[in-house]
Amino acid sequence: MLLKIFLTFLKIGAFTIGGGYAMIPLIKREVCSRHAWITEEEFLDGLAASQSAPGPIAVNISIYTGYHVRGKSGMLMAVLGTILPSTFTILMVAMLFNQYADQAVVKRAFSALKPAVVALIAVPLIQMAKKSGMNLRNAWFPLAVAILVGLLGVSPVYLILLTIAYAIWESRR
Amino acid sequence: MMLLSMLFTFFKIGLFSFGGGYAILAMIQQEVVIKHAWLTEAEFMEVVAISQMTPGPIAINAATFIGYHKAGILGGLLCTIGVILPSLIIMMIITLSYLKLKKLAWFQQIFKRLRLVSVGLIAAALIMILGNAVQSLFAVAVFAVSFVCTWKFKLNPFTMLIATAIFGAIFGSA
Repeated sequence: MLLKIFLTFLKIGAFTIGGGYAMIPLIKREVCSRHAWITEEEFLDGLAASQSAPGPIAVNISIYTGYHVRGKSGMLMAVLGTILPSTFTILMVAMLFNQYADQAVVKRAFSALKPAVVALIAVPLIQMAKKSGMNLRNAWFPLAVAILVGLLGVSPVYLILLTIAYAIWESRR
Repeated sequence: MMLLSMLFTFFKIGLFSFGGGYAILAMIQQEVVIKHAWLTEAEFMEVVAISQMTPGPIAINAATFIGYHKAGILGGLLCTIGVILPSLIIMMIITLSYLKLKKLAWFQQIFKRLRLVSVGLIAAALIMILGNAVQSLFAVAVFAVSFVCTWKFKLNPFTMLIATAIFGAIFGSA
């Protein structure tokens, strides 16, 4: 069973390119439909929990599923399966990149990739802004964070701790 | 000392990133580029592009890449462990008690607020890389085309980046 958990998440980790959100449908198909380890409802609860908790969402949902199915050892197997393919591949890529980074063709490719990365971050920003329940009344909040962090150099850690304290105070009022 | 500092830094990144991959990238930029200067802004953008083009979670890819870049294979492994350790601890607690926690008003309120913070943090990351990444007319054009393709035409990021890399290799400047 532990081996099966490991291999399932290994497959998920190896065959999804594009990060966490690309992995979620595949994880759902494997753990809900194919193996029937958890019900669809449990998965959706797990997904909500994974999005609330800090850290990579794909890692969080694999921890949730592994723990549900087989406790702490299931959890470790699921996490190892999820991250091993990417850790291995990226180490290879990093080694190659160190060797070829100075080649003219690589530099040319990255001269176009850099502005594309800006677009790559701008698009999920818009999507997250829509999903976060942002409206005219609370838009000052992300705006203030962007200015404090992006222009004035305030550490996000303080802002996050402050936000948690503020949210608790708000709900106790 | 360097290794220990990297492990601790990535633990902190994992602990304070709410909202998945792009929020984590914003935290990585804060800690790795601005606070510790382990990477330049330009190198950070290379890491983001490479992390998106290789399999697996972007945050894991970025952590491993940066760790390897600064301190070899051991560095890569330690940064990866650092960034997932908070997830392991917190998800274990949440998995046991999520059904109870999600009914509590203060728990809901915290995450409602933190979602807005994540939007602000990603916007901050964007502000910081904008000046470095979009300096020429060529860059503005590439940005505009890749933005429209990803947003309007729902082109997936992987295909978009591969196409951009090929385009850059032919028409870009070294």
